[in-house]
Amino acid sequence: MIEITVDKDSCVGCGLCVKDCPMKVYELKDGLSIPVRPQDCMGCLSCHEICPAQALEHKGIYAAKRHYIDIRVCEMLKKVI
Amino acid sequence: MTASYVDELHNKFETDITYKSEDIPLQCIPPAKEIEATLHGVMKLNGLVIRSLEEIAGRGANAVTFRAGKKFGHEVAKYFQKREDIEDALHELSDLLQGQYSFEVWKPADSNTFIIEENGERFIYLVFHDCIVRQTLRRNGQEQEGPLCQTLCGYVVGAIEEITGSRVKLDIMHTGPNSCLKKLILK
Repeated sequence: MIEITVDKDSCVGCGLCVKDCPMKVYELKDGLSIPVRPQDCMGCLSCHEICPAQALEHKGIYAAKRHYIDIRVCEMLKKVI
Repeated sequence: MTASYVDELHNKFETDITYKSEDIPLQCIPPAKEIEATLHGVMKLNGLVIRSLEEIAGRGANAVTFRAGKKFGHEVAKYFQKREDIEDALHELSDLLQGQYSFEVWKPADSNTFIIEENGERFIYLVFHDCIVRQTLRRNGQEQEGPLCQTLCGYVVGAIEEITGSRVKLDIMHTGPNSCLKKLILK
């Protein structure tokens, strides 16, 4: 099962993850997002992409292949970072 | 164009290899790492074809791509063993899609069975993990759920129909950066 952690210090309680999740995994409680149904998470990671505070962490997820990432861009980034 | 450049080009394409018609390549040549530029080129081209199709045909683009995918699904699956059971058919399908797509049959935790009955509809949730369509769209910065996603929907529908002999429908429920949820409606 996927374990979801929300960083309470980072979460701004915007509710975007609540709105975006098709499986209603999150609920807003006291201005914070709480994963109330992590067992229903299918690992789409839409919440990760939409979270403006990057407050979410998913453990036990299958990471899909990412062929779209351009190696040349990565090499350029490595020189900068 | 200078002569030295022409010579250089000729040298580049001159080899000692003797090609025999009976030589059947047993692996992808060159290795995948070396065809990255080709892969990205194909992805870009596909993305642009779809974008242009959408601009010209509007909403009709979805119908075109769905039909193309469906034909492809029927074409590929006709060599596979016919199955009446939908679960067996999905197993066949996962073999069929291997390398391009990977999916799993999925159910919400409160559901006992994978075949769910709701509002007079029988359906199965499918979660697509690896998907070349998603890769292509993200490579080009295009939105998901558009005509290119319909090619995959058509492909799955065509293949399932070919394997089981019965009609199905595939609805996109949600698209994400890591996986997408689809609903296979059994008719």
